[in-house]
Amino acid sequence: VKAGKFPLLYPTASFVGLLFVLTAMWYAASSQNSPAVYLLLFGLSAVFLVSIPHTLLNLADVTIAPESAKPAFAGEEVSVPVEIMNCSRTTRRGIELVLPRSGGEHKHVDYIPAGKAARVTVRFPAGQRGEHSVGTFRLTSIYPLGFVRVLKKITSSQTYLVYPKPSGDPRLPMDPARSPHSRPQTELGEGDDFAGVRAYVPGESQRHIDWRAVARGQPLMTKQFAAEAEGSVHLDFSALRFPGIEERLSQLALWVIEAERVRRPYGLRLPDTNIAPDFGEAHFHRCLRALSLFRSEQA
Amino acid sequence: MSRNRSSRHTQQWKDTAIPRRPLLWLAAALLFTLPPLFGNLASWVAWLFLLALALKFWMEPRGYRLRSNVLKLILAAVTVGAIFLSYGTLKGIEPSVSLLAVLVSLKILEAHTAREFQVMVMMAWVLCLCGFLLSQDFAFALCLFVAFTLLIAALVQFHRGSSPNAFWLPLASTLKLLAQAAPVVVLLFLLFPRINTGFPLRIGDLRSAVTGFSDRLSPGSILALANSPDIAFRAEFPDRRTGPVGPMYWRGLVMWHCEGMEWRAPYAPASISDSSQRNPASDKTIRQRITIAAHAARWMFALDRPVERPSSAMLARGNYLYSFQPIRKTRRYEVLSSTDPIGRQLNVHDRREALQLPASISPAVRELAASLAAPDSEPRVTVNNALQYFRTQGFSYSLTPGEYKKNDLEEFLLHRRTGFCGHYAASFATLMRLAGIPARVVVGYLGGEYNDLGGFFLVHQADAHAWCEVWIPENGWTRIDPTIVVAPGRASQDLSSFLAGRVASGEMATGRSSFLTQLARLAFVSQIRSLWEALNFQWDTRVMGFDADVQDVLLTSLGLTNSGPLMLVIQVLIVIAALLIIYAGWMQIRTRPRVDRVKELYERFCRKAAQLGAQREPWEGPADFAQRAGRLLPNESERIRQISTTYIALRYSPQPAGVFHDTFAKEVSAFAARR
Repeated sequence: VKAGKFPLLYPTASFVGLLFVLTAMWYAASSQNSPAVYLLLFGLSAVFLVSIPHTLLNLADVTIAPESAKPAFAGEEVSVPVEIMNCSRTTRRGIELVLPRSGGEHKHVDYIPAGKAARVTVRFPAGQRGEHSVGTFRLTSIYPLGFVRVLKKITSSQTYLVYPKPSGDPRLPMDPARSPHSRPQTELGEGDDFAGVRAYVPGESQRHIDWRAVARGQPLMTKQFAAEAEGSVHLDFSALRFPGIEERLSQLALWVIEAERVRRPYGLRLPDTNIAPDFGEAHFHRCLRALSLFRSEQA
Repeated sequence: MSRNRSSRHTQQWKDTAIPRRPLLWLAAALLFTLPPLFGNLASWVAWLFLLALALKFWMEPRGYRLRSNVLKLILAAVTVGAIFLSYGTLKGIEPSVSLLAVLVSLKILEAHTAREFQVMVMMAWVLCLCGFLLSQDFAFALCLFVAFTLLIAALVQFHRGSSPNAFWLPLASTLKLLAQAAPVVVLLFLLFPRINTGFPLRIGDLRSAVTGFSDRLSPGSILALANSPDIAFRAEFPDRRTGPVGPMYWRGLVMWHCEGMEWRAPYAPASISDSSQRNPASDKTIRQRITIAAHAARWMFALDRPVERPSSAMLARGNYLYSFQPIRKTRRYEVLSSTDPIGRQLNVHDRREALQLPASISPAVRELAASLAAPDSEPRVTVNNALQYFRTQGFSYSLTPGEYKKNDLEEFLLHRRTGFCGHYAASFATLMRLAGIPARVVVGYLGGEYNDLGGFFLVHQADAHAWCEVWIPENGWTRIDPTIVVAPGRASQDLSSFLAGRVASGEMATGRSSFLTQLARLAFVSQIRSLWEALNFQWDTRVMGFDADVQDVLLTSLGLTNSGPLMLVIQVLIVIAALLIIYAGWMQIRTRPRVDRVKELYERFCRKAAQLGAQREPWEGPADFAQRAGRLLPNESERIRQISTTYIALRYSPQPAGVFHDTFAKEVSAFAARR
């Protein structure tokens, strides 16, 4: 996390309104030579001027710490939890956090007591697969009067992963090692022997969610069924016949999800990476990460 | 298709509730902008305003909105039409302010997003401005100041969001802001150049109604003032703590032209040079500083009688002040008066005028005058005879003497014999002229209420008085007040307390509620009143009196006028910027997190190590880093180990010894020096 050295200060839209009011007051005061109207004019100007240091210092010793974002599949939503920390010795009010890449949505925090932190979650649609940097946060505030805005740009080195969008044929390939060019035929993973539940992984088909458990207030769980075929499956990039790289990656991602769901050991073979068959959450993310970071020139 | 349209409409009408608390603050502020409007605008405007506020508070929690554009247009048209009907025009200050107030009302009704809150606050500020244009009275100024404060509180609350704090906390922040703004306001008010642009916004003429005397004394003219609660002027005596001994006669204007019971002042009085009049012995002079309220005429008042004129007025024939310009706003001036009688000789022209009489004087009155005149034409005897006549012939003082119509002089002097100062002064002066003694009528004020807190005398319109001056050769123009012969108490008190005393003693019937009179006589009530008057005086003199001319004097005395207004603006802005920087620094120091000396020193050590090539990684603990850095920098390894051990001890041991701090600091410094 790296903050710009000086916060920026610029007028807001209501400053234009203020200017209009001040001009009207000045016009009336000078044409009437009226001390009372001058007093009003100077009162409003002075309050405005004094509010500037208040706004400017409203972000002093306020900093942010983006937490690690969970990987998302392309087309879904990335959510980056951000902790806004108030290290100063006074309550900070009216703080807004904007992540420009999220489409300018303002996250408003009403107040943060001294030495405390507030958590906001910035959400935005996941774009292309790959590893992306969260980018620059804009921490702003217009408290107390709203005539000027103070802006602190904070660049974060935080990154997030976008997995390829899973799509294609959900049936796992039968024995890709033996017949690399055959289309998968055997339907697996849809066996009827219920084998228990495990945590839902984003991107999985919703058909297997244990909705009854959800209704009981439990977290999302996926029902697992004992697969008919127990042997490990090799998911091979070069065995796929699609022309486009992205399509192939999408198919592989779908298979990874399906294989993980039925808890069948699966290995992944990319042009420069080879992941031995296994299953489990760590393995699952390792495979998807490899797919996500797959570079076109590798093919 | 239709679904499409409806969805577009919901997009357009996507509204956000205006938060309740800021709206409450705003409503309170708007209520305080109302009093000046209520007094000066058509009353339905203010009622509409209140109605709109009430409706908004009813609508907002229910989510009701005024959406139909047609309805809005109709409302706007109806109200504009109503304004036109009320005033007969849309031009001028009152219709314009009414229009603005009405627009604010409609805006309040119509607003449907939080964003519009800012617009409403801006409009409320313009309403404050209008309030000041309509009236610059202290009471209204106080209202508008409260409104101003509440508007800022509304803004603070609006941007504060929904903190679960006490309701009045935004007010605390607001007052803090105002306290910090106060020096800036004073600076701007005193020094910021007031350039008179002369824009065509002439409201002053329209607003200052004529109050006080006219140049005519008829029996009714003083009566109209006797019931007025308005203030005529305030007087301070800069050279002494209290006023002069004896009754205070404030000379206003001198009337030469007699029409029996009616007297008139010259339309354009001739000026006399004050140097020819300068004879006062210093122990008989008294300096006054007078703050006169606007009355649209040109009289200015001073203790009987002014000998040195202020720069804005001339001394008119008859020794009274006559302003060069009509007094359309509060003015402050200094004047020197002398208690000596005026004049050494009466020139022919003056004598002829001081003896002028109307043709239509009834024979009965002529007869009366002849009977009063002393046989040896000694003026003092004649005067005493006339006063004796008033004292003994059953004359009485009354503010309700009834109307004198035909042959009023005879009716008053010989038959009805009841009246107030106007009657007595006019008839006495006429009698003197009939008896061959030059006489004139002086109109002004008698008395004044002393304000302890402010140290000034307050003279009300109700203190208006009329008296006479007669020419006595060895003495000059001599003041004779026939009224006090009839009502001796009048000279020592102001008119209202004189009347109140008479009511209490059963001499006079009154229509006034006696409760109010009694309340007004309570000690603490009169204290509050005098505090209020003192504040009022400060407002009028310090604020309202500080106009462009007074500022010019101040700037000249400070030597700030040489460099021109632009330089002055720049200088003022520089001072304000410095002040703001001081504020910012102060706030920064007060809120900065406490520094951790040990951590700072350790960070310094890390920076130095990084310069030497051993960069500490964020996840690396001090002990791990010491090992790695020791390997990287073998020459420094001993010191690195020592620094790290001390650091760990200081940071993590439950009670680090004080001496450690010094050694630690020395070690870190030494680490730099060895490079």
